[in-house]
Amino acid sequence: MSATVITITSGKGGVGKTTTTANLSAALAACGKKVVAIDADIGLRNLDVVMGLENRIVYDLVNVVEGTCRLRQAMIKDKRVDELYLIPAAQSRDKSALKPEDMVAVVDQLRDEFDFVIIDSPAGIEQGFKNAVAPADRVLIVTTPEVSAVRDADRIIGLIEAEEKGPADLIVNRLRLDMVKRGDMLTTDDVIDVLAINLIGIVPDDEKIIVSTNQGRPLVMENGSMAGQAFRNIGLRLMGQNVPFMSFEQPDTFMKRLSKFLMG
Amino acid sequence: MTDRIIIKGTSNGLIITMGPGEWQGLIEDLSAQLGAKASFFKGGRVALRVGARQLTPAQLTAVGETLNSHNVSLWAVESEDAGTRQAAALLSLETDIGPAKSKVNPPRVARSNIDSIVTRRTLRSGQILRHSGNVVIIGDVNPGAEIQAGGDVIVWGRLRGSVHAGVKTGSEAIVCALQLSPMQLRIGDVITLPPPDDAQREMIPEIASVQNGQIIAEPWRG
Repeated sequence: MSATVITITSGKGGVGKTTTTANLSAALAACGKKVVAIDADIGLRNLDVVMGLENRIVYDLVNVVEGTCRLRQAMIKDKRVDELYLIPAAQSRDKSALKPEDMVAVVDQLRDEFDFVIIDSPAGIEQGFKNAVAPADRVLIVTTPEVSAVRDADRIIGLIEAEEKGPADLIVNRLRLDMVKRGDMLTTDDVIDVLAINLIGIVPDDEKIIVSTNQGRPLVMENGSMAGQAFRNIGLRLMGQNVPFMSFEQPDTFMKRLSKFLMG
Repeated sequence: MTDRIIIKGTSNGLIITMGPGEWQGLIEDLSAQLGAKASFFKGGRVALRVGARQLTPAQLTAVGETLNSHNVSLWAVESEDAGTRQAAALLSLETDIGPAKSKVNPPRVARSNIDSIVTRRTLRSGQILRHSGNVVIIGDVNPGAEIQAGGDVIVWGRLRGSVHAGVKTGSEAIVCALQLSPMQLRIGDVITLPPPDDAQREMIPEIASVQNGQIIAEPWRG
């Protein structure tokens, strides 16, 4: 087995990197893949909370790098899904506790055993971002349809091209169809128009995400949400399947269909 | 003081002919001569004749700075050496002292001596491209990206970042793009911001230049 190492990054904070990492990892594991998620956000760890594994942390990524524990001891198994693991970040340290070579070394130990290594990058373009991107085979850029997030995504894409880690793929997160329809939000096409990279997923804005991250239960573990379905689709695309993009249209009501029929 | 340096006044300003000898020593002599008659030279403009000497842009820049420190400005370097002429063109200096020229409207032919670079990629946010000559981009210039060119800027794509053409040279430079919607456009010392509704405009190739002290964009007809 040789793992595909995927780094989830964005430049701007708060666009949904950690939520995306948790959900994609769970979605891939639910498809029978062996997955390990790594929180590279040293000092501001979140992925453990979003995955609901916070209370089981004993050792973390920095302990592994410093040799305080073995890699295996820092891996927390998610009992809700087969073969999903988390390597948490240290909370008491900062980004300088790691070097890009450390990340590459840790990830190389995991390559033979896993199908996917998913790395949650911190926001920004400094040391933490460099650490997270160093071992990547593929990079997924998360952006929201906002001008500032798109600008930062563009910056990150340029840096990734310079590191020869590209071409990156794009996830447009938190799209609000009602706002797009009113012309109050950038459309996915507007975002692609600037960034000009491959689109791998569109995730609609969904209140259920907030509930699920608070409860520490990734949304893909439940059925019946559009955002969860969108993340599952991205998982399938990462496994090489050709999944069409979801339509976010609500099914037409009878009256709407009737009026469409009458109006031609 | 030697006769290695000949300073002659003409209708075109001062012409300084540099004789044979080691370059650095000549510059020091020149500096001393200018210093000795500071009030006479003050505020003038100077053309250098350097014979067959090979000079780099860095050396020419150094001369320019030496002259500036004596309050005279270098506007031309005449040489028999092609490399030196190119270096002068890079610094946007005239390479032909010739007959009197209007300072207001320098000839465009000089620009063709400037070397150009072609970049075949999209410039993304935070990326800055600086070049002393002309810049050709095959790709887009995204918002947040920046180009600074000594000469013209041509974008075969969408120009949505910031661009400064004719840095240090002046306002005869042009900027053209398949879609000209820059965040900020500067040619020489003239700055313009696009009208606020610019993003909605249809995509037509345009060329921007300075006319009567203002940047004007017109449809690009080659």
